[in-house]
Amino acid sequence: MKDSITVSIPSHPKYLSVIRAITDRIGQIHEMDEKVIGDIRLAVDEACSNVIKHAYKGDVSRKIIIKYTIRPDKFQVVIEDNGLTARRKALKGRDLDDIRPGGLGIHFIKRVFDVFELDEKKKKGNRLILVKYLK
Amino acid sequence: MKIESIDYKGKKIIAITGDIDMFSSPELRDEIMGHIMKKAAALYIDLKSVTYIDSSGIATFVEGLKCMKLYGGKLQFCGIPNSILEIFRFSKLDRVFEIHSTVDDAINS
Repeated sequence: MKDSITVSIPSHPKYLSVIRAITDRIGQIHEMDEKVIGDIRLAVDEACSNVIKHAYKGDVSRKIIIKYTIRPDKFQVVIEDNGLTARRKALKGRDLDDIRPGGLGIHFIKRVFDVFELDEKKKKGNRLILVKYLK
Repeated sequence: MKIESIDYKGKKIIAITGDIDMFSSPELRDEIMGHIMKKAAALYIDLKSVTYIDSSGIATFVEGLKCMKLYGGKLQFCGIPNSILEIFRFSKLDRVFEIHSTVDDAINS
């Protein structure tokens, strides 16, 4: 069995709360652990924030597409944009011991998702694939 | 997010309610930097009613801490809910932030 939900939001930070609420609700419907839901909510929020900051450079008039796919064995989130293509180097967060503003978002994504990869087949923009394997 | 700046026992408390995210953190930054520009000796950030924080919120606090240290000011945190404390710990910020259970504990420290 597979459920898929696709959501499109404008690239304005005020809509991040909408994505958090949707992520929460999907996790609850699938009876996921509350702690895991919280970690996924933060990770998806951070991924969308990165799109606004880096791919769209703060342009709030663009679009972000978030597709959730839930199977018994995995929870997948694919986040797509049509902005500037991310450089692989930029996908590495700062050293956690180097305390300074910024550079944490990638760590928050990687701490909960088992798979974190950019789809290189996408010609324009970015398609970030996040997968969490479920027991 | 709602921010209240409260004078309590002669100290400046910044009490935050709701979600701190990329949308709301610029307002929080303005509030904190406003006090720092006036060289506040100490700021007490009350997080007991905060329901969510992301990396932009954390960056705001790290920036505030670094700015206050430059002139010997103190930035202290109180009432941090467990879910947010866990994020602080993951980010190793519990090593650099002064964290207390309550505002009174922070003031009396």
